[in-house]
Amino acid sequence: MSWLGNILGGIFGAARGAQVGPSEADRQRSAEWQSALQARRLPSFVEARLAAAASGKVPWVATMSAAELGFARSKGIRPLAMVSGTCWYHYGQSWTHGHASGWHLALARLVQEARALGANAVVDVKMRKIELTIGDSMDFTLIGTAVRINGLPASEQPIVATVPALEFVRLLEADIVPVGIAIGAQFHYLSPGSDYSARRMEVGGSMFSNAVLPQLSQFWEGTRRAALKELHRDAQLQGNGVLAHTHLGQLMKIEQGNNVPPRFLGRHIVIGTVVQTERASGVPHDIRTVVDMRDELSPLANARATGHNAYPVSEEEGAI
Amino acid sequence: MSDLKDIPPHAIERLRGLRRAGHPGGIFTSDFSVNEFLLVRKAGFEPIGLCVGSCIYHVGIQYGSWNQNQELDVLSQAMYQARELAMARMREEATGMGADGIVGVELTVKRLEWDQHILEFMAIGTGVVHAKGHPGFKGPKEQPFTSDLSGQDFWTLLHAGYRPLEMVMGSCVYHVAHQGMMRSMRNVGQNTEMTNFSQALYDAREIAMERMQNEATEAGAEGVVGVDLHEGSHNWQPHVIEFFAVGTAVTPISTEQDASVIPDPQLVLSVNS
Repeated sequence: MSWLGNILGGIFGAARGAQVGPSEADRQRSAEWQSALQARRLPSFVEARLAAAASGKVPWVATMSAAELGFARSKGIRPLAMVSGTCWYHYGQSWTHGHASGWHLALARLVQEARALGANAVVDVKMRKIELTIGDSMDFTLIGTAVRINGLPASEQPIVATVPALEFVRLLEADIVPVGIAIGAQFHYLSPGSDYSARRMEVGGSMFSNAVLPQLSQFWEGTRRAALKELHRDAQLQGNGVLAHTHLGQLMKIEQGNNVPPRFLGRHIVIGTVVQTERASGVPHDIRTVVDMRDELSPLANARATGHNAYPVSEEEGAI
Repeated sequence: MSDLKDIPPHAIERLRGLRRAGHPGGIFTSDFSVNEFLLVRKAGFEPIGLCVGSCIYHVGIQYGSWNQNQELDVLSQAMYQARELAMARMREEATGMGADGIVGVELTVKRLEWDQHILEFMAIGTGVVHAKGHPGFKGPKEQPFTSDLSGQDFWTLLHAGYRPLEMVMGSCVYHVAHQGMMRSMRNVGQNTEMTNFSQALYDAREIAMERMQNEATEAGAEGVVGVDLHEGSHNWQPHVIEFFAVGTAVTPISTEQDASVIPDPQLVLSVNS
């Protein structure tokens, strides 16, 4: 992890007297990053790289596989360059809302790079995070491949598609445009005096019996629904549907000391791909059922990894 | 723009950055993958909204006698009732949004780390409507149908001439008897079946399956597809196991299709590994 050392060395370099300090060029670069991030624009060297990629002076860079490249090119879609947006965000006031803000900032930066390229879309956008926790903060990173579509002028607001190029083209054919990412993040507190406390205070036989905890159930369901509602609101600004691939919920008990009933914190984050589609527009492809004759793990049967690593998938929460 | 000939005009408009001011049909949420979404549409349905239901449940305490094979009915009831409640809440939401059914239902049980007697049950799935408003796809009692089949399996099921009715389930929490001292002594150095264990597992599985089957009969189903049998212990003592059977009860779309009408799958050998 020498690169990590470099980053940390850059931040805490002063504390380590023995190390050689950053060069003048390094200093200039970091100063430029700082002013660019503050002014919500790109540093000149990034702009120069993107401009070179846009005009074809440097080779294009794509996360596509060879098959995807061929398929995309057959539909007039050309890769330009890999673009990314990163935001290391500190959640002081709220962990949950911090996640929403972090992703929104990273998204804005990704789109900024795509716009500088004169791209129409960014495909294969993946949500990533680095396994490194510094205090109450986390990094929010999006990477993807900016593409231009033959015959279209540069977009003021390039669309952000979390699907690989192959699926992107298939969706377009079916009149479905993946346009962006929507986030819903909500947290609520449930104050003392809940049915949970009441239940636990009871003694004797009732501890042995089954019971629904309606207040806690309602509270938790409410938190989840609030997050979904926010997802809905966020998506409405971009398209008319969401395919929500990421769900993360936690219900926590907060002890308040002896003789005081506990409080509860419920937090829920849901993230999805926003699509724009005409209702009931049908799917032009014929679908044929096939049986794969392979004995070993088939590429047809193999569930493809999404490439996102920002949240554990919901299946890990608990089996049936 | 000859390159874009296969792409519908709406999609090109959107790629140009043009957007409609409002969305007359409202906006839908779902947890479909891209492929599921395409296949559900291909099957003639449109997603309308994500339906969730949860239930936080205090599970009672019940001990089995040390040397008895027996069902722990308090626990069986708890596991069943809590799931049923979560499903009912989910179904209510679907009814509220006017769905014909719920596809891709996921049922999860989560133990909350701060209390060993409290379990969180959740049901989540995507509410769908028939795109042309066909009324014949509702579940029993004109309620939305429920199904744990994925979007892909949903398409395949409809093509096989069936439609889903209801997710059916059966649960049995069973205490497997401990072996007595004398019995263990007798078995030393012997290869022999431990019949009381065989019997216990058999019996418990049987009960769970039977309960699921009863539910299917009640729903008026012809059969149950995609049945999965789970064995699990939710932080109970050793020797206490839950057998949980779950599947989707189905019925023929009109009358049973003749076998010759159902398309034969093509055999392929993928070479792109």
